[in-house]
Amino acid sequence: MLKATRTAALAAAAFCAVAGLAGGVQAKDIEIGAEFPLSGSNAIYGDVFKSGTELAVAHINADHMLKAPLKILYEDSQALPQPAVVAMTKLVEVNKVPYVLSAFTGVSKAISTLGQRSQTVVVNGGGVGPDLAKLGPYFWNVIPLANLEVRAMVPYLAKHDMKKVALIYVDDPLGQAILDELKANLPKAGGKLVAEMSVPTSAQSFSGVAAQVRASGADAVYIASYGAQQIQIAKQLRDNGVKVQLASYSGFSTPDALKLPEANGLLYTTQAVNYKADDAVTKRFLADYEKAHDGKKPSAYVVNYYNAVLLFGILGHKLEEAGKPITGANLLAERKATKSFDLVGGKVSFQENGTLLAPIQVNKIVDGAGQPQETVDIH
Amino acid sequence: MLWLQLTLTGLQTGALYALTAVGFSLIFGATRVFHFAHGAAFVLAAYVFYWVDTAGLGMIPGIVLAALAAMAFGVAMDRLVYAPIQRHEGSFFTVFVASFGVGIAVQNIVGMVFGRGFVTMNSTLSRSREIVDGVYVAPLAWIAIACAAVFFALLQFFLRRTHTGMALRALADSPELIRVYGLDPRRLSSYAFALGSVLVVPGAVITALGSGLNPALGHHVMLISLAATIVGGIGSIGGALVAGFVLGLAENLALIFFQSQWTEAVTFAILFLVILLRPSGLFGRAAAH
Repeated sequence: MLKATRTAALAAAAFCAVAGLAGGVQAKDIEIGAEFPLSGSNAIYGDVFKSGTELAVAHINADHMLKAPLKILYEDSQALPQPAVVAMTKLVEVNKVPYVLSAFTGVSKAISTLGQRSQTVVVNGGGVGPDLAKLGPYFWNVIPLANLEVRAMVPYLAKHDMKKVALIYVDDPLGQAILDELKANLPKAGGKLVAEMSVPTSAQSFSGVAAQVRASGADAVYIASYGAQQIQIAKQLRDNGVKVQLASYSGFSTPDALKLPEANGLLYTTQAVNYKADDAVTKRFLADYEKAHDGKKPSAYVVNYYNAVLLFGILGHKLEEAGKPITGANLLAERKATKSFDLVGGKVSFQENGTLLAPIQVNKIVDGAGQPQETVDIH
Repeated sequence: MLWLQLTLTGLQTGALYALTAVGFSLIFGATRVFHFAHGAAFVLAAYVFYWVDTAGLGMIPGIVLAALAAMAFGVAMDRLVYAPIQRHEGSFFTVFVASFGVGIAVQNIVGMVFGRGFVTMNSTLSRSREIVDGVYVAPLAWIAIACAAVFFALLQFFLRRTHTGMALRALADSPELIRVYGLDPRRLSSYAFALGSVLVVPGAVITALGSGLNPALGHHVMLISLAATIVGGIGSIGGALVAGFVLGLAENLALIFFQSQWTEAVTFAILFLVILLRPSGLFGRAAAH
């Protein structure tokens, strides 16, 4: 009996020792959230964004930048506000993440309230609605917003004798913001908005819209939509006899939009990223991305989401060194205390409203790739 | 000339709506199954056509294989999804949820196989030509209108002049009576699914060539099919055809009066008015109380 008890005690002690050892070696992952469209007609963006975030996670973990491995919990926002709010509630209440990556103007606006209330940092790298600069201290943008993009495109069009502009815009906060910016900026450049046509997010047939564009006598058509819809608009405009210059914003820089034959010659704006920067962060990012994607150059979205995750790594590292927990409030305080960050493209700093300031580049699609035409410093 | 342009565009849009709505109407009318996965059959046919054509095998093999894929999908849905549910006296709602689930699954599988981005086909058929000053029409528009007319005529001939067609019409009225006459309602149901699913093929091919594809396309197709079926009158094939054209024309001609964002609202305003003023649809029979 005594022997049996002793054996059981030894087994229990051995189990505790092994379990304790295992617990000591395997630290709990540090988790952050990401709300990307992973299904539906905008799922292509989710794939592009993830290629940036996953590379950043790999680099952060390889460098042991944080005391425990970094892991991203992906939620499918479908690029729609309602499912995004449900997913944000889960990330904040159940997973208790301090940092959430967001995309799309409508989604970002919808989840920002929950971010402010729970002191969770929300970082947008894809939505460009100008309202995103006004969503409070816990909402950051690592992408210049559409107002800046329009301010770069309008003078470029005017300079090239395209002063009568027709706008096709999706009926949501992004489209409305671009409409407001064009109305405000075209007269300043000596131009005129000759037609404005809003389309519902679900619309797929644009031959009627093309007829209206032709009737408007516009010199250029600005497309303010995203996902599959913006490609359908460009294709159907061309198919239906619209021969004038097409223009758009950074939403057009997805692989399937660029390779559309009908989009050849289309002008679009993005933030200017200096891929030739001589810093180690940019070089490593470019080398590893190109290695993983058969030599393909990354889009601005990939850079943004890589930077968004790297930013968390840098701030988290500083907090851990200072012995502070990684919480939303501490991340915000640390970001405000840091003047500049070494991210892809060089040293960058945040404006007071939590938005990165970057120069804007006008690009032209030539044979399926964006060719930079002009870089504009916007203030 | 804007009105002429929009009328022609409306006829093209209407032809596509009519072609998809007629298939849904045939299935729903004959079997009373709310086949939400009809949109998935459309997506499947469109992507099979795209795959075969981009593989260099040509359009005709693409159309044939798309038709076979749509037909096989429709019959499989009937035999493997709806029949087992109906055997266990599953409610209308159970059937709807099952169909909805399959629709989502197909969308995701297509996304996994072909990618979730937008795909287009490079065809001269989608390029418009100026037929009169300021009026552009693509060859696809004439093909769409011709397809709607030919398929409708063939379908009417089949339903009115062939034994199976008449049995299908009878199935819509009384499955019990079908059994009394020694016919098999289950087999007839499969015919309805096969035929209704094949009818998505012209619309799917024209959409692939004209406006391009993405895996989430099925929901819009389903929404329009449902609206056209209700406006035309449930079970009325001719009604679905006319309603498809009415919705397509209304959607485009509305651009003369309203901003383009309201064109979809016009479709559903028509649906609402029909439900309010003529609940059985334009060509439907009033249900007995």
